[in-house]
Amino acid sequence: MVDPNSVNPVFESPITSTNSGSAGTSIGTSADQAALTLADESSLTKTLIRAEPRTKAERQLDVVFGASRLVDGVVISGQRPSEWLVIGEANDVSTFVDRIDREGHVSLVDHTHSRAMMRLTGLDASRVLEKVCSLDWSSEMTPNGAVVSASVAKVGCDIVRNDTFRHGSALASSAPTEVIPPSYWIACDRSFAQYLFDAILDAGQEFGLLPA
Amino acid sequence: MLLVPCPHCGPRNASDLSYKGESHARPDPNSATAEEWRSYLYMEDNPAGWLRETWYCRSGCRRFFVLERDTATNEFRNPPVPGAKLGGKA
Ligand SMILES: [Zn+2]
Repeated sequence: MVDPNSVNPVFESPITSTNSGSAGTSIGTSADQAALTLADESSLTKTLIRAEPRTKAERQLDVVFGASRLVDGVVISGQRPSEWLVIGEANDVSTFVDRIDREGHVSLVDHTHSRAMMRLTGLDASRVLEKVCSLDWSSEMTPNGAVVSASVAKVGCDIVRNDTFRHGSALASSAPTEVIPPSYWIACDRSFAQYLFDAILDAGQEFGLLPA
Repeated sequence: MLLVPCPHCGPRNASDLSYKGESHARPDPNSATAEEWRSYLYMEDNPAGWLRETWYCRSGCRRFFVLERDTATNEFRNPPVPGAKLGGKA
């Protein structure tokens, strides 16, 4: 694994969020709706791990397909059977990945620069997703921590519902009465990123979605 | 909308999957006659009724699986088993 401190930490996102898709007629944005945001988080480190069943790596990851968990500042998402995406800041992911046992059929590939990732957050976030994706985005079917892969605006995406994770730290739980809005990481191939970003902004326009 | 029961992802819109067609047992390449190969590669049963077929979960788990569908009613049966081998007509 390359020491992240030894290389120039330059990351160029495929997304330009300044020319937002929210140009056009704005429909009734209240204060709550204004909290609906789409942020470019492509620069987070994303390492894909594949591990055969019954390897030590699989036991270390300890996340089933369709679920995720936060450990040592990184989110491990069970993206597909025997396939995990580890997401977080470069140093945290590097530390985590270095501990993964390589015995057996195990592979690790850095997808940071090949996959774009955006975060859709807000009380109406699921309603935005419902417009561009055929899955059921109710909290019963996709609660916090759920991981799915699906077509979003006709682009193959990996989605992690992650309401509490904010760049390595959990949200303070000091305000139990405060409603934590649902938040989704949406990852796609880099070449589709700008289109997808604009398409989601377009879909969210009626709910007041703004680029963060 | 056709809901296809993926063994990993659960019911998914058929547009999220690729239909790979009828599933037939592959003949042994060491002993199959040319006619058997031709039949395997090109000939379909195409019944109006139960058919064993292969699907690929393109947008979801990216796994191939086999299940049975009534081509007349689009009803699925026998929840598919992950990793099940291809096995001929239903
Ligand atoms: Zn699937």
